[in-house]
Amino acid sequence: MFFWQDPQFGDRMITLMAALVLVLQIMMVGQRWLVTNIRAFALQSLLLAGISCTIAYFNDARDLYIAAALMLLLKALLLPVMLRRLVARIEIRREIEPLVNVPLSVLISGLLTLLAYVVAEPLQARPAMGAAGLGRNTLPVAIALFLIGFFMMINRRKALTQVLALLSLENGLFLAAISLTYGMPMIVEVGIFFDVLVAVMILAILVYRIRETFDSMDVSRLSRLRG
Amino acid sequence: MIGQLAMILGQAALVLLLSPLITGFSKTLKARLQTRRGPGILQPYRDLHKLLRKGMVVPETASWIFSATPTVLFATTLLAGLMIPMVLAQAPLSMVGGVLAVVYLLALGRFFLALGGLDAGSSFGGLGSSREMTISAIAEPALMLAVFTVALSAGSTNLSLMAQAAVGQSWRFLAPSQMLAFAALFIVLIAETGRIPVDNPATHLELTMIHEAMILEYSGPYLALIEWSAWMKQMVLMTLLMNVFFPYGLSADGSPVGMVISVVLFVFKLALLVLAIVLVETTNAKMRLFRVPELLAVAFVLSALALISTFLFGGRG
Amino acid sequence: MSAVLAGLGVDRPMTILLLLLIPLVASGLTAVTRSRRMMESIHLLSALAAFGTAILLAAEVLANGESSSWSGYLYADSLSALVVLLAAFVYLVCAPYSIGYLRTDERNQVFGSEENGNMSLVKLRKYYTLTPLLAFSMFLVAVASNLGVMWVALEGTTLASIFLVTFYGRPTSLEAAWKYAMIGGVGLSMALFGTILTYYEVHQALGAESLTALSWQVITSHAAKFDHTVMRLAFILILLGYGTKAGLAPMHTWKPDAYSEAPAPVAALLSAAVLNSAMYALARFYVITVRCLGPSFPSQLLILFGLLSIGIAVPFILVQRSYRRLLAYSSIDHGGIMVLALGFGGVLGPLGMMLHMTFHSVTKPLLFFCAGNAQQRTGHDSLRKTAGGLLHTLPVSGPVFLLAALAVTGTPPFSLFQSEFLILRAGFSAHHEGWTALFVAMLVAIFGGFFYHISQLVLGPPNGPPDTETCKWKTYPVIGLAAVVVLMGFWLPGPVYALVKGAAQILTVHP
Repeated sequence: MFFWQDPQFGDRMITLMAALVLVLQIMMVGQRWLVTNIRAFALQSLLLAGISCTIAYFNDARDLYIAAALMLLLKALLLPVMLRRLVARIEIRREIEPLVNVPLSVLISGLLTLLAYVVAEPLQARPAMGAAGLGRNTLPVAIALFLIGFFMMINRRKALTQVLALLSLENGLFLAAISLTYGMPMIVEVGIFFDVLVAVMILAILVYRIRETFDSMDVSRLSRLRG
Repeated sequence: MIGQLAMILGQAALVLLLSPLITGFSKTLKARLQTRRGPGILQPYRDLHKLLRKGMVVPETASWIFSATPTVLFATTLLAGLMIPMVLAQAPLSMVGGVLAVVYLLALGRFFLALGGLDAGSSFGGLGSSREMTISAIAEPALMLAVFTVALSAGSTNLSLMAQAAVGQSWRFLAPSQMLAFAALFIVLIAETGRIPVDNPATHLELTMIHEAMILEYSGPYLALIEWSAWMKQMVLMTLLMNVFFPYGLSADGSPVGMVISVVLFVFKLALLVLAIVLVETTNAKMRLFRVPELLAVAFVLSALALISTFLFGGRG
Repeated sequence: MSAVLAGLGVDRPMTILLLLLIPLVASGLTAVTRSRRMMESIHLLSALAAFGTAILLAAEVLANGESSSWSGYLYADSLSALVVLLAAFVYLVCAPYSIGYLRTDERNQVFGSEENGNMSLVKLRKYYTLTPLLAFSMFLVAVASNLGVMWVALEGTTLASIFLVTFYGRPTSLEAAWKYAMIGGVGLSMALFGTILTYYEVHQALGAESLTALSWQVITSHAAKFDHTVMRLAFILILLGYGTKAGLAPMHTWKPDAYSEAPAPVAALLSAAVLNSAMYALARFYVITVRCLGPSFPSQLLILFGLLSIGIAVPFILVQRSYRRLLAYSSIDHGGIMVLALGFGGVLGPLGMMLHMTFHSVTKPLLFFCAGNAQQRTGHDSLRKTAGGLLHTLPVSGPVFLLAALAVTGTPPFSLFQSEFLILRAGFSAHHEGWTALFVAMLVAIFGGFFYHISQLVLGPPNGPPDTETCKWKTYPVIGLAAVVVLMGFWLPGPVYALVKGAAQILTVHP
């Protein structure tokens, strides 16, 4: 048996990739450069595709290869390229002005991670199924991604970073779906990816048009409608 | 008893003799990467030899602390070096204390060094001391957290036990807590040894220097001792990093064959680590001093995450 | 049994498929059409055909109890049929109105001046392609038997309507669409998380790998076996998620903006039909959750969110300055009432909810039509600037506006009074006397505020020259719908009531 056929190795790899996904998420919270953020997001999606592939390989879940391929194509390649172009077009590179300063944001992210651990614990305590519950232990990371993404959406004022936060929040959902259920039924997966793609196209256009009309990407200036 | 003594003497000799070589190797390697010829691997030995023969100038304002500092620094660093498993899985002085003792022996040395810098009465010394303390105030928690993470999964703070615990498990080094702690410790290592993104050992520019500012007033044998301690500290920290996370090849029984393999692997691992550090040094620019805490904050976050992930992944982190 | 036979047989009913195809085809045809008149007729025809098919589907469901096609992936029972019928009805009444509305816009040169007539064609095509897509998504929400597909379809309603909210391209409409997209996106992510957790439970309980594992019929029948902690978490996420889509407080902030910035017929669709879709999704999960956890946990949450939504509407209605936003807050209030009714539970609660949904869907478009007419007449939607007199300036829409305002606030003899009264009774029979009293107090406050604003708007001395309201496309829907609203106060067609009762029965769960 080669070492890459060892389920324990697979388990280690999944855990490691999930941890890196979390590190990237926290890095996005603490990062000011937009391009670095996009790169971190792309890398995060790439790692998720990797996790998906690993689970697919060890659990013989064919569906997950398709999910991984979609993840790779759409979220690791296409979306980052689109976002990069958008950044180049609107000529904003260092535009992230969080409401809460960076050290405090990172601290809050850490606390949210702990919260995710508390929430996920009862689910993890249950008997595993499949090949020794491969990937089940990534659920806290999925919840943490979700929570931190949510926090980022609130914390960031710029339109593009909010889009990034939403996307990374959805990455958390993807991780939850593949780690809990080895992928939802195929048709749903495709639907989700389709939706994400269309949603991002709409958001990208919106961002562009907001820029055109308001000459700023600052969402806090979108406050004429009140009451 | 004799064996114990031999082990202590052997490791002391190893630390004393190998540490200048590591520095020399890293300087040469760095020079080569920058397409310079460099001073040659043995230059640190020659420096030591020269410094030890020279006379000293002691500032008039200096008290006994100024003279005690080099000795205390040298002694604490050497003692720390004896408490770390280098070639044998069992460190010669491991029964004296665990990793906490190592960390605080090094901290004691630094404390005296900072005092010595202040004691000389020059403004540069004070400046260097304050900077050193600022950095270590952030680097130390990161170091401690990372060390705790490893200790937690090993079930002991005794370095020898920690190294031995890591040997048996397959793929242990892939565990995220280990990886993150390793990354955190690597940043701490760079900060503690005064490497480029944090400090530049090759400059005396007052805007940036930290370590060099503290020892500006020292000369002759005192300077030799301080420099030698700095090299030993570098070696101690590097060994700590290598042997806690990758303890492969540590000789458990002390048989001659095992010892030879162990020494070869030890040197090889150190060389790899030096290469990594030098690569970081040549590809990065020196940070502004105010950015340094941010880098160390990253190390702190990484080690905190490492600690969290030991719990997060249900025993597999 | 008949469903199984229908699923296997060759001559199985294809009503559902037809229902989904009609708007899709209409949207596709509109996308390639060059003439404005063609677009309008396609739109009108598709609305008529969709409504006809919805009636067919309702009849089928009434006769057989259910209807399914595509080997069970599409499935309709009374609840689905009712939601589809209401959506198709709103789509139908919006179709002629939107023709008149958009023609007026074009005449007023809202899309730009005469020389770029191309621009207005682009805008019209956008409207006439996206609105059928919105209808398609709403139908799909109700007839998808798969919880995942249902989620996708609900996301589809958001996607189809974003560009309808930005229709006028004003900075404020971009802002509204931005909020709509972002808050809606987060909300739907939460709903997806809840769906994933539910699927995980199904996976644990059944070990099923097939597509049927997410079908809500299967999930409902096995819900008792699910883990309580997970389902509790799932329900909270679903409530927050679909609650955002339904505009429950405190996730309601997108709603006034989107409703006031979108064209009036789109706002009517969003308020009267998309709201139902979100409620439908919520109700499906409510049934699953009650089967698993018993009624008390979901009921408490629903009552909380319902009262919060009604409560948040009160101050905003009282101090409102724009009548379009006033209507949006009224929608938040009515969404809250529906959720509250579901939370009261028992036999009367679900019945009240379904009746309320039906009556609200009939009444709300009328208000938006009148508001749209008034806005197109004056060019703004400010209550203060209009300063009364709509009764004279708009001889048709003005009085109807007043009538609709009375109807929507639940004044007898209008139908919403009946459903609200039923919900009141449900609250008392569930022994929530305190909450029910609070509910009544808030309803009275909303009635006061709403009626004050609308009467200020409609009554009073004439303000400007009287208008004859020549555009028939705009007045006839208003008159027709007003007739339906009045009629419904006294007589609800038997089949519709049967459908409502069937739907309420599905939601009446005895764990």
